[in-house]
Amino acid sequence: MFRYSLLLAGSLSFACLAVFVCLARPHAESADLLPGPVPAKFKTACLECHDAGIIVQQRLNKAAWTKEMDKMIKWGAVVDPGDRDVFIEYLTTKFPTDKEPYVAPRTAFKKMKHDR
Amino acid sequence: MISRREFLAGVSGSIGGVWPLLSRAADESVALPGKEGMIVRSHRFLDLEMPVEYANLFITPVEHFFVRNHMHEPSTLDVSKWRLSIGGEVEKPLALTLAELLKMEQRTVTNTLECAGNGRAFAVPHVPGVQWQKGAVGTARFGGPRLRDLLERAGVKPAGKHVMFGGLDEVPGKVPPFIRSIPIEKAIDGDTLVALNMNGARLTKHHGFPARVVVPGWIGAASCKWVTEIKVLDREFDGNFMSPGYRMPNQPVQPGEAVNVADTHPATALKVKSLIASPSDGASVKSRAIHIQGVAWAGEADIEKVEVSTDSGTTWQPAQLSKNHSRYAWRRWSHFWKAPRGGDYTILSRATDSDGHTQPDSVPWNPSGYLINVVDQVKIHVPV
Ligand code: HEC
Repeated sequence: MFRYSLLLAGSLSFACLAVFVCLARPHAESADLLPGPVPAKFKTACLECHDAGIIVQQRLNKAAWTKEMDKMIKWGAVVDPGDRDVFIEYLTTKFPTDKEPYVAPRTAFKKMKHDR
Repeated sequence: MISRREFLAGVSGSIGGVWPLLSRAADESVALPGKEGMIVRSHRFLDLEMPVEYANLFITPVEHFFVRNHMHEPSTLDVSKWRLSIGGEVEKPLALTLAELLKMEQRTVTNTLECAGNGRAFAVPHVPGVQWQKGAVGTARFGGPRLRDLLERAGVKPAGKHVMFGGLDEVPGKVPPFIRSIPIEKAIDGDTLVALNMNGARLTKHHGFPARVVVPGWIGAASCKWVTEIKVLDREFDGNFMSPGYRMPNQPVQPGEAVNVADTHPATALKVKSLIASPSDGASVKSRAIHIQGVAWAGEADIEKVEVSTDSGTTWQPAQLSKNHSRYAWRRWSHFWKAPRGGDYTILSRATDSDGHTQPDSVPWNPSGYLINVVDQVKIHVPV
């Protein structure tokens, strides 16, 4: 048997009371999610089908990141053979098991609905 | 082609954090019309979690209903050309329009839909996948023709043992399509639907417009969205999302251990589970008189009782179940408690179902973090 930690990873406080300001604006594109000196090759390979959120919320060890990398390559991610290990090393260093939890953004809302 | 050195230089250059999502404050909200105050687990593909505080109603408004997509939603859909086909091991294959489906007898089922991976974020060691905490669950009134009526019209041959659903999700690259099947017994259950409506309105795009399957009491993955193909098979569908996806180990495995697919079975019915909607975890409550409330569900079984502990699990008191009651739907519960004095408290909730199963303190680890149904807990501060 194994115990699951029940501690909430992120804070569930309601901080997003903003109203809709930019209705038509799509949420931050991949480019916004991985700015700075993140290698262009990684972005090209890994943000084609989905954005970075699904990657950066994981907290995995090297064995698990290796499995993920190979699954994504099998599913169509274009990764030069020479880059595979480098990407795995990168993910293992950036998103290890003991990193603090990722804090997810919220969708905006106009008003709370308390009853129906 | 970048060299290894350039790549590593890039990595070290980014230490100190310019990946803004990592440090993104929760007050930076994302506009997504029709979905309010939801936790964005993933934007593309869209995966939205309901904050657990919204689990305070019998029927979850569509605005607050969780969204789980494995791939892209259909980008275009011409309803006039859309058909639902029924084929495979049947006497008379059919292709029905939306208007024809709407003309059939409509049945409404109030169902609690929960993603098999709800609670995955609490797995230790961590497992890959959408890091759902508590809110990949919701209850809605789904309406539409019974799947059984469609299968009867087509005439299932004796060889038909499983029913497969194909949706219009747009599959990127070489990703296997999101196709799964359910056993014929569940398919012909009078409560299994091809739903066209949700909470009295036509389905929205995020929830599978124009038609989705609803397999009551089962993991959300069984309830295929944007369904366009129903096929009767002589065996379980053979594909990634039936195997190795959505399977549970037959025996408990060591945390982190790889599991042989031959030693697994498909995840089907949901397990008994409860959530505390209020007070919120981490809350500093204003008064010592506290209304503890939440919901509890048990897949195909009924909720027998919910108990609440206000002393970290040493003693338990029965919670009151609300009158609103429908097979497959969660039950709301509540418990009034007067904190004896100020201080920090851990409140737990624990449900028991009509089959005698009680939520456990711990569950065996599994490689995908499925069906985690441990007792719920919140920590609160009561003023002196
Ligand atoms: C061809 C499309 C495609 C590309 C390219 C791709 N992915 Fe994915 N990825 C997917 C799909 C589809 C899912 C979601 C599967 C699901 O929800 O069941 C996913 C999910 C994930 C997840 C969540 C865990 C999981 O397995 O569901 C991680 C982490 C991930 N991808 C990492 C990567 C990395 C790293 C790269 C670059 C090497 C990459 N992806 C490139 C299609 C892709």
